[in-house]
Amino acid sequence: MAGFLDRLLERFKIYREPGYYKRYDYWWAMVVDLDRCTGCGACVTACQAENNTPVVGEEESGKGRVLNWMRIERYVEGEYPDVKVKFIPVFCAHCDKAPCEVACPVYATYHNQDGLNVQVYNRCVGTFTCATYCPYDVRRFNWFTYKDKGSFESPLDEQLNPDVTVRTMGVMEKCTFCIQRIVAAKDRAKDENRKVRDGEVIPACVQSCPSKALTFGDLNDPNSQVSKLAGLPAEPYYLRESGSKLAKISKNPRAYRLLEDLNAAPTIIYLKRVMKGSSTIGHE
Amino acid sequence: MLNRRDFLRVVGIGSAGAAAGFALAELNAPNPARLIPYLIPPEDIIPGVANWYASVCRQCGAGCGIVVKVMEGRAKKIEGNPIHPISKGGLCARGQAGLQVLYNPGRIKNPLRRIGERGKGEFQEITWEEGLTILSKNLKELRDRGEGDGLYLLTSPISGHLKLLLKNFMNAYGSSKYFAYELINYENLRFANNITFGQNSLPHYDIENTNLLLSFGADFLTTWISPVNYSYAYGHMRQGRPGLRGKVIQVEPRLSLTGANADEWVAVKPGTEGLLALAIAYEIVEGGYYKGEDRGKWLAALERFTPRDVAKVTEVAEERIIGIAREFSKTKPSLAIGGENVSSYENGVSNLVAINILNYLAGNNIGISGGIIPNRDIEKSSFIPVNSLMQDASKGKIKTLILYDTNPVFTTPGAVKVEGQLKNIPLIVSLSSFMDETTLLSDLILPTHTYLEDWGDNFTEPSVGYPVATIMQPAVNPVFNTKSVGDIFIHLARNLAGVFQKEIPWTDFGAYLQASWKMVYNKHKDMKEIRETTFEEFWNNLLSKGGWWKEESQAGKKVYISVNKITPYLPKGPASFDGDDKDYPFYLTLYPHSSYMDGRGANLPWLQELPDAMTSVVWGTWIEMNPERATTMGIKEGDVIEVESPFGKIYAPVCLYAGQRPDTISIPIGQGHKFYGKYAEGRGANPLDLLPFKVDERTGAVSHNSTKVKITKTNSPGRLVKMAGWTKELGRDIVQTITPEEFQVKEG
Ligand code: SF4
Ligand code: SF4
Ligand code: SF4
Repeated sequence: MAGFLDRLLERFKIYREPGYYKRYDYWWAMVVDLDRCTGCGACVTACQAENNTPVVGEEESGKGRVLNWMRIERYVEGEYPDVKVKFIPVFCAHCDKAPCEVACPVYATYHNQDGLNVQVYNRCVGTFTCATYCPYDVRRFNWFTYKDKGSFESPLDEQLNPDVTVRTMGVMEKCTFCIQRIVAAKDRAKDENRKVRDGEVIPACVQSCPSKALTFGDLNDPNSQVSKLAGLPAEPYYLRESGSKLAKISKNPRAYRLLEDLNAAPTIIYLKRVMKGSSTIGHE
Repeated sequence: MLNRRDFLRVVGIGSAGAAAGFALAELNAPNPARLIPYLIPPEDIIPGVANWYASVCRQCGAGCGIVVKVMEGRAKKIEGNPIHPISKGGLCARGQAGLQVLYNPGRIKNPLRRIGERGKGEFQEITWEEGLTILSKNLKELRDRGEGDGLYLLTSPISGHLKLLLKNFMNAYGSSKYFAYELINYENLRFANNITFGQNSLPHYDIENTNLLLSFGADFLTTWISPVNYSYAYGHMRQGRPGLRGKVIQVEPRLSLTGANADEWVAVKPGTEGLLALAIAYEIVEGGYYKGEDRGKWLAALERFTPRDVAKVTEVAEERIIGIAREFSKTKPSLAIGGENVSSYENGVSNLVAINILNYLAGNNIGISGGIIPNRDIEKSSFIPVNSLMQDASKGKIKTLILYDTNPVFTTPGAVKVEGQLKNIPLIVSLSSFMDETTLLSDLILPTHTYLEDWGDNFTEPSVGYPVATIMQPAVNPVFNTKSVGDIFIHLARNLAGVFQKEIPWTDFGAYLQASWKMVYNKHKDMKEIRETTFEEFWNNLLSKGGWWKEESQAGKKVYISVNKITPYLPKGPASFDGDDKDYPFYLTLYPHSSYMDGRGANLPWLQELPDAMTSVVWGTWIEMNPERATTMGIKEGDVIEVESPFGKIYAPVCLYAGQRPDTISIPIGQGHKFYGKYAEGRGANPLDLLPFKVDERTGAVSHNSTKVKITKTNSPGRLVKMAGWTKELGRDIVQTITPEEFQVKEG
């Protein structure tokens, strides 16, 4: 037993040293191509199906209490007939300098060894601070135990994913990058004594997207699809610092990060939509 | 050789479950037996480990290949089948929500017999034996009276072997009255394609490889024909070809989701889309881009439609029409498509013909990659115009009506008054999984399996340039006391005996399907694409792959369009609308809601809570109105207005939307169910209630853009639940963009 603990402590010691993040096992990230995304919303329903997110009903929706972990934002520019509508899917960006993490008084949300911002439901006491601090407004609160309010009325409950908890009242939740799928892939890889392959983890939203706007993978691996799409050099660790600017190191002129100036170092990289007569601000 | 586990994975749990000896038929009953099987785990069910079964989505007619994740006998997730040529691994939101069809609390759990007055909704549960006996007895009597032709069967447009079985059944019975009905259908398009390309089918539109897509009201990214496949194609056209990015121009009065993704929006006046196409055609010929010998003839046929004249009617500037014509001719390959919106005017066929010929004139985009690839001819569709069905009903010709998977009471214009006509039918039998408006009027309800519990197959039209057949297999055991629709007919055939035994000798639908595929295999086994040496091997591969398709690009077939032949079909003027301009100042355009389609998706809570892509509205109906026009009328967002046509009235809140012409309002179809389970009932309004009964005479397809309306502000309470707040970026630079020029320079 003691041997095991020692090994564990030894393993976690690395996370206490400066620059530790370079030794993270994986650096999960997502690339969203806004020129492919049509705003269809298939990803939103796919996420709901995978992650046991309850339906809250019209009344609660009207109070802004929907629990969807991701959303499609729409922006309407101009007046008729020169109207432009733009869409952007927004999920938790798993920020490397996550404002939500410093906010939590009970350490319910923290960064794990894969670079994910995770939420420990059992620890969450529902102070709502993290949601207030999150600049992307992606955290969702369980105002009720929706399961008891008939959100999974039988036999709808037969569908619930056994790999994901059903949350109860007073708990904050948000996009996990489908951590259950990451864990499954890592388990499989470990059994076969290898690293997780590029494309082996496919979160539900990415899987469903009919126009292939979403790509998921490991930024530690310079050959991964995400690294290539984002136009990143090998070892893009600079992106994990506050104040880092994607445009400084990315070779893809379309790559940007949402509200980068807030310095949360988000791990979701968007590729600009190609559009006539629109702004190019944000790219140097 | 397959080992046992692989074998079971391929044959599906329908048989696996049965073999393993646990039946989850009565999931609702408090049944301790449900827990027992896992104490002695069946060899193929490992708690916590998922099996995936390939099948087909039946939420619309596109026929996307799916895989269903099943754990401990329960379906947990549906995903796109990554090797399937239609879905290419993706799915739309409706496809995702298929699980809530399966596990919907509103499903009919047992066969029912009406006890109260028709339409009162009073039913009594009966056994399957009783239900099938009632129906067989009725059918026997009918036939003995020599009124076999009084049996009508009305289904959704289905394909594959189920259709064949139903046809055989009706033939054996001696009735020629097997029909299909659906509000959103492609009859006009098939008809127009037959006129122009000589093929009565839906072609493969090669959006994937085109460089300029000119779409007239085709919302191909949400509901039109094959949205998942077209979305894939769209993504590829935009960003899948390094250095090349296709352009999209969308012509429609209301900016749809597809329009929002286009590079240019042409806000044409409703009903004049066909004329705009003709003006573009005129310019193509006049400008010398069309080089055929019969150029003079074309010019003569089109001379009434000069861009200058048409500009006035369509409210699209002359220069813009000319510009589009030139760009369309010069860009190669280019592709023009006509969608649901233009096909739903009373002159739908003409509009579509006018749009089709652009492909021909601009350099024959037909039969080439990036253009239109005609499909093989399909078997004649059994589509029936509702009016002829209703006439038969009123004349008392329909003695027994069997309905499957279609809800005409909800999906026909209010003026048809289907409900009243159904009164003349002595026996209505509904084979349905849900208590919808039509089923509620039935005398006998035989509840059917959902597609996740049933066998079947789907021969996709328009497919993707080569034939695609997708197999449907049961992913889970039936949740309720329901039957496969195929089994119902096989059972009826057994009860009716006689000639039926010869025609339909199978024990169940699964066996029938397998036997039919065996015939297919035997016929084609010498083809080089079929490598399997035995049928068993072929069948197992079929089930594990999810179907059979032959990947090959169809040989380009050039067509010749004769001016004389086509002229009678061209639009003569703008489409007509009921209601005069003075009393009814607004055009009304209706469109199928991206999640509920013609209303069938409204009972799925995931879809109710999925914000509408354009407006972010959830759980209700809204009326889209131009913001400036609304302001002049003193209407604010969220105000409930009365929309009145010469035929009816509905009430719903206004949603201000700048992608809307000032003279037009738009309403999504799908809500306003009176009956359809708790998630749909009493929610929003059904805009079909506003419609006259108008069809395109040539096909009988209902036109749902056919009336003008007036609107009045009311003080009624109503709510508009919108998920999005502000739709302006306020300089935050959230959705960043670069111009096409910059993109070309930097990437190309
Ligand atoms: S997006 Fe919000 S919730 Fe997610 S890590 Fe960043 S701050 Fe935290
Ligand atoms: S599924 Fe894909 S295309 Fe549709 S909204 Fe999501 S990211 Fe965009
Ligand atoms: S387009 Fe959507 S609803 Fe239609 S078959 Fe495909 S996944 Fe199903």
